[in-house]
Amino acid sequence: MSIYEALIAPFLEFEFMRRALAAIIALSLAGAPIGVFLMLRRMSLVGDAMAHAILPGAAIGFLLSGLNLFAMTTGGLIAGFTVAILAGLVSRTTGLKEDASLATFYLASLALGVSIVSLKGSNIDLLHVLFGNILAMDDQTLLVIAANATITLVVLAVIYRPLVIESVDPLFLRTVSRAGAPAHLIFLALVVINLVNGFQALGTLLAVGLMILPAGIARFWSRDITGLICIAVVSALISGYAGLVLSFQTRLPSGPAIILVAAGLYMASVLFGSVGGLVRQLFPGRHLEA
Amino acid sequence: MDGFRAALVVLAMAFGAAPLHATERLNVVASFSILADFVRNIGGDRVNVTSLVGPNGDVHVYTPPPQDAKIVAAAQLVVINGLGLEGWLPRLLQSSGSKAVVVTASNGVDPLGRGSEADPHAWQSVANAKIYVRNIRDALVRADVADADYFRQNAERYLAELDALDREVRDEVAKIPPERRKVISTHRAFGYFEKAYGIAFIAPLGVSTETEPSARDVAAIITQVKKDRIPAIFLENISDERLVRRIAEETGAKLGGTLFSDSLTGEKGPAPTYIAMVRHNIKALTSALGP
Amino acid sequence: MPAQLTFRDVTLGYDRHPAVHHLSGEVASGALLAVVGPNGAGKSTLFRGLVGIIKPLSGTISLEGLNVRDIAYLPQIAEIDRSFPISVFDFVGTGLWRVTGIFGGIGKGSRERIAQALGLVGLTGFENRGIGTLSGGQMQRMLFARVLLQDSRLIVLDEPFNAIDAKTTDDLLALCKRWHGEGRTVIAALHDMDLVRANFPETLLLAREQVAWGATADVLTADNLAEARRMCEAFDDSAAACADGVRQSQAA
Repeated sequence: MSIYEALIAPFLEFEFMRRALAAIIALSLAGAPIGVFLMLRRMSLVGDAMAHAILPGAAIGFLLSGLNLFAMTTGGLIAGFTVAILAGLVSRTTGLKEDASLATFYLASLALGVSIVSLKGSNIDLLHVLFGNILAMDDQTLLVIAANATITLVVLAVIYRPLVIESVDPLFLRTVSRAGAPAHLIFLALVVINLVNGFQALGTLLAVGLMILPAGIARFWSRDITGLICIAVVSALISGYAGLVLSFQTRLPSGPAIILVAAGLYMASVLFGSVGGLVRQLFPGRHLEA
Repeated sequence: MDGFRAALVVLAMAFGAAPLHATERLNVVASFSILADFVRNIGGDRVNVTSLVGPNGDVHVYTPPPQDAKIVAAAQLVVINGLGLEGWLPRLLQSSGSKAVVVTASNGVDPLGRGSEADPHAWQSVANAKIYVRNIRDALVRADVADADYFRQNAERYLAELDALDREVRDEVAKIPPERRKVISTHRAFGYFEKAYGIAFIAPLGVSTETEPSARDVAAIITQVKKDRIPAIFLENISDERLVRRIAEETGAKLGGTLFSDSLTGEKGPAPTYIAMVRHNIKALTSALGP
Repeated sequence: MPAQLTFRDVTLGYDRHPAVHHLSGEVASGALLAVVGPNGAGKSTLFRGLVGIIKPLSGTISLEGLNVRDIAYLPQIAEIDRSFPISVFDFVGTGLWRVTGIFGGIGKGSRERIAQALGLVGLTGFENRGIGTLSGGQMQRMLFARVLLQDSRLIVLDEPFNAIDAKTTDDLLALCKRWHGEGRTVIAALHDMDLVRANFPETLLLAREQVAWGATADVLTADNLAEARRMCEAFDDSAAACADGVRQSQAA
C-alpha cells in the first residue's frame, strides 16, 4: 500500500473520515491549550472527575425529557459548572486545595446522580448514551465543537495574562488586581464546557485524552508556555490524524487508537525529549563553557 | 328433593374447590420483559409476574439493585432466557438464597453460534417463541399442578396467536422484492429473525451494546451498503443512533424507524407485548424496504 | 511631612487571636522605616493587613488616598511556582500590570524599562532563563526588579534579605536607598539589627503591640529589646474578649 493510499485516500473517499478529522482539528485547537494550563495548575485529573460530576445534571435532564441529548447535555453542563465553580470558590476562600475540593464535590455529585437515576428505576447506562463517537459526527455536533473551539480560543486569549500570573504567583496578582478570581473561575467554566461538549461528541477517552496527553508531551520539548501550547496543539493534531489512519487500517476502535498514538508520542518524549528527557539526562554531552 | 341435593353437592364442590383457587398466586420472576410477557399470557391471573429488567431496559448490562435479591428470594419460579444473555443472574440467584426453580426458556432451541459465541436472541423467530412458550407452560404446570389445565388452555390459545403471527410475518416479507431484503441495524440481535424469514441484517457493532467500532468497520459497512445497494438503515432502542445516522447519510440509504429487539416498551410505547413488538418490527421493515 | 500611612488602633489577627494588637501611628510620606521584632511579633501580619490581604479585626489602616493596588509588596515566603515555564523577562514584566492591564501590549518602551530594571538588579543576561533555574539570591534580585517596574509610591518588603549573600544584600539595599532618594515610602521588616542601625533612620519595634517607634537610635535600646522579647507570647485560647483599647489582664 502506498503512502498516499494509507494516509490520504481514506479521507478523500469517506465523508465520515473527513468529518472526524475536522472534529480532531477543532478539539486540538481548543482542548490542547486548556490541557496545558490544567497540567501547569496540577489539575490533570479533573477531566475524569468531571466525567462523573456531570451525571446528576444529565440524570435530571433524562428525568425531564427522556433520552433527549440536548436536555441531558444542558443538564450535564449545569452540573459541571456547579461542581467546578463551587470547588473553585471553596479552594479560594478556605485553606482547602483545589484537588481536594474538586474531589469532594465530584464524588457528592456522582452519588447524587446515581441516586437520581435509580429513583427512576430504569437501568439505562445514561453516561453511555450521553457519550458520543468521533466517527458519528453529524452537522449539529460539528457545529457545536467548532463554536466551542472558537469561543474557547477567544476567551483564553482574553484571560491569558491574568491566568498565567495567577498560576505562577497568585499572591502578587491578588495584591495588584481583582482579575485573579474571575480569571480562575472563567477558566474552570471553559474546562467544563470543553469537557462536556467533548464527552457528548466524542466520549470521555478522547475528550480528556486529547487535552491532557498533548500537554504532557509538550512538557518535554519546551520551556516556555507559548512553546508548550504550540507543541501541545501539534501533538494533538498528529495523534488525531495518525489515530484515525490506524483505526482505518486495523480493527482498533477510533477513540482508543488516537489515544494510543498520543501515548506513544508521550513515551517517546519521556525518553528522547530535549527538556528533561531520560536519554538527555543519561547522556548530557559535554558541558558548555559558560 | 333430588334437585336440592344436587344443588347442595354442587355448592359443596364449589366451596370445596374454592380453597384451591383461592390459594396464593404463583410468584414468578422473569429476567426481562419479553419473557414476562410470555409468562403473563400463559399464567393469566394465577401468577404474579415480575420482570427484573423493565421495559426499555438493557438486559445485557443489567446490574441488579438489592431489591432484586428480595424479589428473587420470594419467587417460586424463575424464568431466564439462557444462551449467555443474563451474565449477571447466577450471582444474584446465589446471593439471594432463592429456592425457586429456574427454567431456561430457550431449552430445545437450535442456537446460532456455540458456547460464549452463541446469539441469545432466539425469541426473534416466532417458531422459537413457541418453544419458549411450551417450556414456560411446562414449568408452570410442574410448579402449580392444580392449575395445569388453565395453563394448557392459555398456552394453546397463545400458540395459535403465535402461529398466526408467524404467517403474518411471512406474508409481509413476501411482499418485499427479494433483492431488497437486507437492512443495516445497529444491534446484531436479529440473527434468528434473519434465519427464519430471510431478511439479511448487517450490523456495524457487535452483539452486546458496548463494543466500539473502528474506522475500518464503519468504512466497510459504508462500502457494503453502497455496493450491495442495501436500502434501509434501522435504529435500535438502546445504542448510539448518531453513528447509524451518519452511515445512512453517507450511503443514501433510507433511515427506517426503530426496531425493538431486546425488550418491550412500556404500555404507551409501540411494543408493549411480544406480538405487538414483532408486528411493529415487520411493519417498519416493509415500509422501509417495500417496492 | 504628610502621612502616607495611618494606623488607627489597628488589631490584625487570625481566628480572633490578635497578631498585631491596637497599633496606632503614622508613617510619613518618603519615610525609610524598618519594622523589627522577635519571631511571632506580627510583622508579616501587619504587612498583609497593609496591602489588603487580610482585613483588620478592629481599627483602620488609611492609605491617605493611595490605591491599595498600587503598593509594591514583596512577601517573605513567595508562593511562586518555580516550575512554571516562564522566563525571567516575562516574570519581571508582570510588574507592569497596573500599566498594561489585561490587554495592554508590552511595547518597545516597556521592554526597555524591563531591561533597565534587570540591569539595575544585576540580572542582565538572564532575560531568557526560566525562573526555576535561579539561585535564591538571583530570585530575590528578580523580585526586586519587579518592584522597580511597579514604580510604586509605597514599597513594602517583608524580610527581603533573608538567606541571601552579602553582595546581593548590599546591592538590593542600595536600591532601597535609591527609592528613598526618589521620595518613595519604603517599609521593610528586618532581623539584622546592625543593618537596621546602619541604614534605616526610623524604626518600629513591634511585639504584637508597639514597643517603641521613632528614630532608630532611640528605639533599638537594650531595654526596649528585652521588653519586646517578653511581650511575645503564644496565642492564649483562654484569653478574654478584648474591650476597646484596654487589655483586661495585665502583661506578665
